[in-house]
Amino acid sequence: MAELKAGDKISLTNGGYVSIVKELGRGGQGIVYLVKLNGEDKALKWYINPPDKNFYKNLQNNVIQGAPSDAFLWPEYLTERQKGSYGYVMKLRPQGYYEFGNYLLAKKSFKSYSAMLAAAMKICNGFMLLHRFGYSYQDLNDGNFFINPNNGDVLICDNDNVMPHGEKSGIMGKARYMAPEIVAGSIPDKYSDRFSLSVILFMLFYANHPFEGAKVVGCPCMTESFEKKFYGSEALFIYDENDKSNLPVQGIHHNVIRRWPAFPAILRETFQREFSQEKLKNPQERMLEQNWEKLINSLRDSLVVCPHCKEETFVEKDGKCMNCRKDVGVKAHLKMGNRELLLTPGTALYIDNDNIPDCRIEVNPNDPSMMLIKNISPNAWTAETPSGKLKIVQPNECAPVKNGIKITFDKTYNCEIVTH
Amino acid sequence: MSLLDDAVSVPRRTMTLFFLIDTSGSMSGNKIGAVNDAIVNVLPMLEDISSSNPDAEIKVAALEFSNGTKWLYNEPKSVEDFKWIDVQAGGLTSLGEACLELNSKLSRSGYMKSASGSYAPAIILLSDGGPTDNFDGGLQTIQGNNWFKNAIRIAIAIGDDADLDVLARFTGNSEAVIKVQNIDALKQIIRIVAVTSSQIGSKSSSAGDTSKQDQVIKDVNQAVDNIDGASTAAAPDSSSYDDWD
Repeated sequence: MAELKAGDKISLTNGGYVSIVKELGRGGQGIVYLVKLNGEDKALKWYINPPDKNFYKNLQNNVIQGAPSDAFLWPEYLTERQKGSYGYVMKLRPQGYYEFGNYLLAKKSFKSYSAMLAAAMKICNGFMLLHRFGYSYQDLNDGNFFINPNNGDVLICDNDNVMPHGEKSGIMGKARYMAPEIVAGSIPDKYSDRFSLSVILFMLFYANHPFEGAKVVGCPCMTESFEKKFYGSEALFIYDENDKSNLPVQGIHHNVIRRWPAFPAILRETFQREFSQEKLKNPQERMLEQNWEKLINSLRDSLVVCPHCKEETFVEKDGKCMNCRKDVGVKAHLKMGNRELLLTPGTALYIDNDNIPDCRIEVNPNDPSMMLIKNISPNAWTAETPSGKLKIVQPNECAPVKNGIKITFDKTYNCEIVTH
Repeated sequence: MSLLDDAVSVPRRTMTLFFLIDTSGSMSGNKIGAVNDAIVNVLPMLEDISSSNPDAEIKVAALEFSNGTKWLYNEPKSVEDFKWIDVQAGGLTSLGEACLELNSKLSRSGYMKSASGSYAPAIILLSDGGPTDNFDGGLQTIQGNNWFKNAIRIAIAIGDDADLDVLARFTGNSEAVIKVQNIDALKQIIRIVAVTSSQIGSKSSSAGDTSKQDQVIKDVNQAVDNIDGASTAAAPDSSSYDDWD
């Protein structure tokens, strides 16, 4: 394999070419170069050892199909075979995004729970669309995500192993993220993607690994055969409801021990269900991405700004702030189908799943006892008062938080304000 | 935001990279100079691999053997804290004793203690000759050690006098013995072997049935093809057929 040097011109299958500017980084599979394509900065992934013909064909197909969503740093152009190898061109990763590993190593942390939930939503949405396109990702692990800590925006990289569901890329994945059936030798597919997705989400929320508790940490040397056992045949969730032998260890699994009881019960219950022995053994029963999205919405709906300490808090049945332990005193919510979005001053509301807040709750400057719901979306809302009057709420305008007011967002989402 | 700000790093397993360095008299001169230079220069690369790796932290230990054996430090050190001390050459080749010494440290009461556990170590053996002591006895002892059995083991044979058979028995695979014929190749191979072993050894395994040792051998051998003066011990030797041209 020839490494490339500044000034080299690499021809693309569409007749164009890129010129190499400099190396940006290298990994096990290849080297990433900064390149110019018609004057524009792009990234070229160049394989150290070019994978086989089928891999090339698959990449070609992925280039033609296009990215499932803007979350993916998707192959945009394929190079011709040259200099003993080949590669593909993708968008350059913008500034401000950090590899997920940095969050696990506590070098980076989310600025807010809203950002954390936005990251979770974006990841789920990306994989939902990827699967909807008929693909499976096959090698989902901690190295695939770059996340912006301020707003939770996510970029999914390494999309060269993405294959039509059921086809084999030859890549098995990374042991701690592989589904038990893949560890045991099956071919990765969308069901195993869903397992890896749940591991990533768990680590995103709790910053520890869901299967690494007392049992696993007790293993002095994690050989390949022990990996097969602890992440495959004998995988046991650290908070398994029926088997307490793999609980997290004080002093080692600090983050999950702190966060598990503090984060909402619906999150605990979901992971206990998803990582139960029954589900581990039944890949087809794993939760769909759209149900993860519903869960994230529920978490968002219960995330408010505490009126006392002004910090974000999830509000559960006890109504207490998780930071200052005072009663949050939620006085109203927005009812939208099965969802109940809690309203406190300063709280942002996410009506749909696009990760952009649509409303913000404010205090009426003329009457501090009254909250207002402000339209921070680009579209007008229609509102109907309890007496039947119709109102339009333009962007940057507010409606009062009064019992019985019905609001329709984007002509699609019907809600009603309920005061307590 | 206390809970988010209060996060600590995920616990990482430790992957210890052992350098076993022949410092017998025949290594003196630019061979030992190249070894010293290569290891000093590879440490910052290993530090990069370790600091960005959520799976494992890399530690380094070095054992030199000549008339006897000597550890550079009496414990494996995190790669960022490991300061290389130039080794000097002189004396015999006590590889058997080195095996026994390594064996005594490859245990949880020795060097392999880590609160969050370890990955199997990577052991890089560099030698330019053949053992002058009871190698068979030492090898037999260490072959019973589980840490050794599971370790990534690569040997670098320096020059024509290195005993390839001994090195192949140590690594358990003749393809894990890399022959180097010149100083430049020696430096490059030390870097490639150390980086590749650290990358693969410090990550949770990534391919179905291929062992980490096999992955390292494959990657190193691919690199060897591009380096003048380096070859795998198992490569066919056609030098004696030159007159058949």
